[in-house]
Amino acid sequence: MADISLQNISKSFGAVEVISGLSLDVHSGEFVVFLGPSGSGKSTVLRMIAGLESIDSGTLLIDGKVSQDLAPGQRNVAMVFQNYALYPHMTVRENMAFGLKNIRLAPDEIKRRVEEAAHVLEISALLDRKPAQLSGGQRQRVAIGRAIVKEPAALLFDEPLSNLDAALRVRTRVELAELHQRMKSTMIYVTHDQTEAMTLGDRIVILNNCKIEQIGTPLEVYNTPATKFVASFIGSPAMNFLSGTTSQGKTGANFVTSDGLTLETNIALSNFGAFELGIRPEAIRISDTADGLPAHVRVVERLGDRTLVYAVLPDGTQIVAQDSGRSGVQTGDKVHLTFDPSQVVLFDAEGKAHHS
Amino acid sequence: MTSGRLQKLNLFGGIITVVTLLCAIIWAFPIYWGIVSSLKPEDEVVRPYIELWPETLTFDHYWFALTETQIGRWYINSIVTALGVTVLTVSTSMFAGYAISQLRFPFRRTLYWLILASFMVPTQVLIINHFVLVANMGLLNSWAGIILPQLIHPVVIIVYKQFFDQVPKDFREAAAMDNASEFGTLFKVYMPMNWGVTTALAIVSFIWSWNAFLWPFLAVTKNEMMTITVGITQVSDAFGVYYARQLAAAVLAGFPVAFAYLLFQRRVTTAITLSAGIKG
Repeated sequence: MADISLQNISKSFGAVEVISGLSLDVHSGEFVVFLGPSGSGKSTVLRMIAGLESIDSGTLLIDGKVSQDLAPGQRNVAMVFQNYALYPHMTVRENMAFGLKNIRLAPDEIKRRVEEAAHVLEISALLDRKPAQLSGGQRQRVAIGRAIVKEPAALLFDEPLSNLDAALRVRTRVELAELHQRMKSTMIYVTHDQTEAMTLGDRIVILNNCKIEQIGTPLEVYNTPATKFVASFIGSPAMNFLSGTTSQGKTGANFVTSDGLTLETNIALSNFGAFELGIRPEAIRISDTADGLPAHVRVVERLGDRTLVYAVLPDGTQIVAQDSGRSGVQTGDKVHLTFDPSQVVLFDAEGKAHHS
Repeated sequence: MTSGRLQKLNLFGGIITVVTLLCAIIWAFPIYWGIVSSLKPEDEVVRPYIELWPETLTFDHYWFALTETQIGRWYINSIVTALGVTVLTVSTSMFAGYAISQLRFPFRRTLYWLILASFMVPTQVLIINHFVLVANMGLLNSWAGIILPQLIHPVVIIVYKQFFDQVPKDFREAAAMDNASEFGTLFKVYMPMNWGVTTALAIVSFIWSWNAFLWPFLAVTKNEMMTITVGITQVSDAFGVYYARQLAAAVLAGFPVAFAYLLFQRRVTTAITLSAGIKG
C-alpha cells in the first residue's frame, strides 16, 4: 500500500501533447477510478504510472520514491491488462510465479504467495491448467492473482472487465470491490463505464481531452459536477440541458428559457448572460397542473421500478424526466414539468458549473 | 445429382488421378532408377536398354562405399557442419529478429532494409570474397571454414521478425511488469510461444546445410574434411566412372535428409510455406 503522487506530468506523442501538466494524489489504500471517453488519456496516465509509457516532464512519486525513471518492474506496482496477457504456454501457477521468480524470491515464499492468492481468488483448483483451458472470468481472476502475488504498492487495472459478458461483469465488479475491502491496497482502475466507476471508486478522476475535468467521490461528481462535460458524462439517462439567459432574481439567478419562461433558482452568479440550465431526470416532477414548463410526451419507457418520460418542450428541446414505476403518464399526453430548484445547475459559456 | 453428371464427375476425377500419378512417377523414377542401379553389378548398369529390376542383386557397391571410402568421416563432417550451421543460424537469427521486431534503437529500420536487400545478392557472387576471407583466416579444410559463410540466412531473420511482430504487445508489457529482462522476455515468453517456428526453421536450415555443395566443395580439399555431398564426387574421381558405386554413395548421402524429412514432414512443409513468400 502506498501513496501515489503525480506532479505536473506531461506527455507528448510526437508533436501531439496528450497529457499536459496533470497533477493528482492517490492516497494509500484508496480505490481511484479514471473515467473518460475513448481518447481522453486515461489509459495513458495509467501506463505512465506503470512505466509502460515514458513521462516527458513532471514527477511521479510512488510511496514517496521518485519513480518516473524506473523500469516498470522496479516501481513496485502490478497491472491487470484488458486482455489479461496471461502467458499461454505457462500454467496458472507458472503465470503467477513468473514475476516472483524474476526477482529471485525463495521457492517456498513463491509457493506460499501463489497458493494464498489462489485461495483468495478461489482459483486453487485451476493452478495446473493452461490459460486456454479457462473461461473468461477465470482468466480474469488469474490475471488479478498474478498481480496480487507481487504484494505491490499499488494495483493498476486497465479496463479489466471489458472482455466479460454483462452478467459476469457485474459479478466480477462486486468481487473486485470485496477484494479491495479485504486487501485495503491502493488501486487505480481505468474504465469508460460510469457504472463501474460509480460502484467501485472511492474517488473518480474524470478525464476529457487529456485533462482532468473533476476529481471527487462518486456522489460529488454526480450531484455537484464541476463542468458540463462531467454533468453529461455521469448519470444514465444523462442530465437535461436547456439553453437560455440569466438575470438577477430574488433568491438567486433567474433562468429565462428561449420560450420566455422564467425559472427561479437559488444560485448566486456574479455575471449574467447566456447560460445553460442542467437538471437530472429524477429532479423533474411531472404535474397535471399548469405549473412549470409545458411539454408534449413523445415516448414512455416503463422500467418497473421507475418510468422514463421523454418529452419535448415548445422550443424543441428534448427532456427526460423520471417518474414513479406506477406513473400514469401516456405517450401523447400534454404535461407540465417542474424542477427541484435545489438540484438545478447553471453552466456558463465555458461549461463551468454553478451550484446553489 | 443425375447419373450422367455423376459419371462426368467420376471421369474428371479419374483423369486428375491419372495425371497426378504420372507426375509422381516422372518425379520418383530417377530416385527409383538410382536405387535400382546401385543394386546392379556395374556391367548391368551400362547395358544399352532399360531393365527395371536387377538381374543379379548385389550390395557390393554399398559395401565398397562403406568400407573403401571415408564415408563415415564424411558423415561426421556433414553432421557437425549442418548442426553447427543450424544452431548458429537459428540462434543468431532469433536474436536479430527479436531486436528488429521489439527493440527500439538507432538505424533499426536501416538495418532491416539492409537485411532485406541482402536477398538481392546471390551467394555465388560472394563466394570469391568468402573464399579469400576464409583462406586468410586460415580456416580452409576446417569445420569452422565450412560453417561460417553458410550462416547468412536473411530469410530466417525475417520469418522470426514477422512472428515476433504478431505477438500482442501486452505480453511484452506483462513481462516488463513482471521484472523480466530482455533475455528473459525472449527466452521465457517469446520463444516458447514460437517453438513451432523455431523447430521448422531448424529443420530446413539443417536440410539446406546438409545439401550444400558449392561452398563445402571450395572450402575443403582434404578428403577427410569433406562433407558427404562433396565426398561422393570422390567415389568416381578415384576409381573412374563407376555409376553403381557413385549411386550407392549418393543413396547413402541422401538417406539422413530423406529420413529427417519423413520424420518431420509437417514441420518442413510449414517452414517452406513460411519462407516461400520471402525467399526468392
